[in-house]
Amino acid sequence: MDTNDELAEALGVFMEEARELLAQMEEILLREEAGGGSEEDLPALFRCAHTIKGSAGMFGFDEVVRFTHVVENVLDRLRNGAIGFSRQLVGVLLDCQDHIAGLVSTIAEGGTPDIARSDELIAELRAWTAADDAAGAAAPRQLPAESAVRVAASGGGGTGSDYWHLSLRFAPGILAEGMDPMCFINYLGTCGRIVHVETITDHLPTLDEADPELCHIGFEVALDSPAGKEEIERVFQFVAENSHIVILPPHSKATEFIGLIESLDEDSARLGEILVACGTLTPQELDTALRAQQQSRQDTPPRLGAILVDSGMVAPAVVGAAIEKQQRNEEKRRSETKSLKVPSERLDALIDRVGELVIAGAGTHAQAVKIQRRDLQESASLLLSLVEDIRDMALRLRMVAIGEVFSRFPRVVRDVSRELGKDIELRISGAEAELDKSMVEKVGDPLMHLIRNSMDHGIEAAEVRAASGKPVRGTVALNACHESGAIIIEVADDGGGLDADRILKKAIEKGIVAEGANLSTQEIYQLILAPGFSTAETVTNLSGRGVGMDVVKNNVEALRGTLDIDSVPGQGTTIRLCLPLTLAIIDGFHVGVGSTHFIVPLDMVVECVELPTGLDHFDYMEQRGEALPFVRLRQLFGEHGPAHIRPRVVIVRFAGKRAGLVVDRIYGKCQTVIKPLGPLFEQVPCVSGSTILGDGEVALIIDVAQLIQGVVTRNWQATHGGTARGATALAA
Amino acid sequence: MSKTVMIVDDSASIRQVVSITLHGAGYEVIEACDGKDALTKLGGQRVHLVISDVNMPNMDGITFVRELKKLGSYKFTPVIMLTTEAADEKKRDGQAAGAKAWVVKPFAPQQMLSAVSQLIM
Repeated sequence: MDTNDELAEALGVFMEEARELLAQMEEILLREEAGGGSEEDLPALFRCAHTIKGSAGMFGFDEVVRFTHVVENVLDRLRNGAIGFSRQLVGVLLDCQDHIAGLVSTIAEGGTPDIARSDELIAELRAWTAADDAAGAAAPRQLPAESAVRVAASGGGGTGSDYWHLSLRFAPGILAEGMDPMCFINYLGTCGRIVHVETITDHLPTLDEADPELCHIGFEVALDSPAGKEEIERVFQFVAENSHIVILPPHSKATEFIGLIESLDEDSARLGEILVACGTLTPQELDTALRAQQQSRQDTPPRLGAILVDSGMVAPAVVGAAIEKQQRNEEKRRSETKSLKVPSERLDALIDRVGELVIAGAGTHAQAVKIQRRDLQESASLLLSLVEDIRDMALRLRMVAIGEVFSRFPRVVRDVSRELGKDIELRISGAEAELDKSMVEKVGDPLMHLIRNSMDHGIEAAEVRAASGKPVRGTVALNACHESGAIIIEVADDGGGLDADRILKKAIEKGIVAEGANLSTQEIYQLILAPGFSTAETVTNLSGRGVGMDVVKNNVEALRGTLDIDSVPGQGTTIRLCLPLTLAIIDGFHVGVGSTHFIVPLDMVVECVELPTGLDHFDYMEQRGEALPFVRLRQLFGEHGPAHIRPRVVIVRFAGKRAGLVVDRIYGKCQTVIKPLGPLFEQVPCVSGSTILGDGEVALIIDVAQLIQGVVTRNWQATHGGTARGATALAA
Repeated sequence: MSKTVMIVDDSASIRQVVSITLHGAGYEVIEACDGKDALTKLGGQRVHLVISDVNMPNMDGITFVRELKKLGSYKFTPVIMLTTEAADEKKRDGQAAGAKAWVVKPFAPQQMLSAVSQLIM
């Protein structure tokens, strides 16, 4: 891989990361706006902007850096509590977040960033940054005041029986630099009580060698002080670097530090950071130790802990506690990052191969059955069941939580409710329900339409709600759950419900249904899915143009799903999407009509019965006291091969409706890898795809959803019968 | 005996604030408005500490410190340089010239006082 490729790849990672961070920002901002923010939110928010800025800088995206820097400043002030959240600020920050996203994608695509917009937003942010200067100027003044208080407090003397121990070895040239060691010791007295000073004269040269301008003496000082290590270190801030100053905390402090280490937030993974955070090590000491580590000439540089203990900067017990803490943090981090990112095309390739493997395995098994070799059959079955396991696992790799789609809706609901001037809350449940990644990508747009529709047409204006005794705040609920191999997604509102009379009147006006048609309430509700239908009295920016619901319906059907509408006048409307979990491989139920093979998705098969005799001219039968409509596949697909004397009925169910499929033979369960029919046959009704059976035969996969719809409404025979017959010609 | 501090800065207001603060803490203060002025005003008299700005007309702080250190009577006199945080380069220059202590501008009077007392208490 050359550098350019690496850069391009890194850029991809950056884009992905930026997208995630921006999504996180949005989530937090919305939470803050709703008043549900937590303590970790503000640092997290800051970190998002900070990280984006940092990585953008690495790629030279200067405009992103420039703009994000301002946002980061505001977030920093929020984090420090210098400013608070307001509705207005959240609004501006959300705009900023959008703008950063825009900048990142524009620049990554090689476009010119919208600098004017940046400046506009920066100007808006100024309201929150300008005050910063005043506060910032005030900040340093607080610092000495605080230390003055501490000095005063220490004046009374500490009560502990053990003391700080300071070991001072000044650089010989210190005097020439204008520093007097005695001054430092005197000044140390402002931090606490100097209990004892021992002068170390070991390095004092003989009189004739002595240079009076050099400092040869060292000091060991016992200090009784409540001050922190950093404060004591500050006394020696001007001492030249080649002086050797060691500050050892009292024994009682060691246990205090260990306690502090235990109570630290679980986020630093570096030993030095942990020690600095608990106060036993000062940043400057850490710097020195790290430099010593870097400058070490050994092949394996000494460990930081060893350096710290050897140089006496930190007590061994404290280092031990910190190392333990570090390991725990690392473990935690490792368990957090157990997920991998894999390009989806690799997964697709894997699933494709696994699909072929399933077919080959089934073929081997069929051969073993044919030649009646028991041992071979057994090993072939074992192989097949293992391959099936692998298939399930491979498919699960593609499964993602529907929450990925849901997460974008809180923002939509917020923006739309503002636009509409309605107070609407979004409730999400079942976000953890999983479905195939490809489905997740496609289900977003239909859901968006449905939610907007619910908000615009479903939820009434506040005064109407109040008048009918409902809470003024409307609710749109988004629920997801699994049901027999499918995922059900509901968009429910607590609005006014559908007005069947008005819908019917409108439909007649638009010529969608004939006047005087006798329709059930359900059928009337379905009319809102018809192309060109809209009952909204005013066309709003969002919906009401009569496009939308039919597009939603088409999208859902393209995913082999169905769409149901339920409504209670005055209480609300629920729109239910029922979608298959995956589009790639299914468990199939293999049946035969004449010489043609068909596959019915097994999830939808309820049971199999024999077709009662004497029903030749009927298209429904009685089953457990209920009428069951059925369809003869022989007729539907124009099959002329030899008929079976005792046809069977495969009873299928989809979206709460049942129907029977009359077939000649039942072969049983089989693994079905769905192969698309190709553009030429995509329009063939009642067939959703094809597959290759173990023996190499082609079988058509029956589109149960469409078929049930047809059986229930009995409208396919007139419109699609001819083409459906064409499909069998192709299969044969 | 009270100790004497010299403040060298071209800004009269800074000189004034520093003087007031140090006077309040019991120090004698000599003011000078640039390096040249400072060298003249020193004239061999005893000074315990020098505080000097970097950017000044006539003679800048770095040159001033270098000249000061050449004079025998001030060889051991500590110097505090006033730097801006952005000017790390300047800080290094100042250290090379012999000013080992520094206070970052803008500073609060208390900060200045504590730096002074660290060096000549």
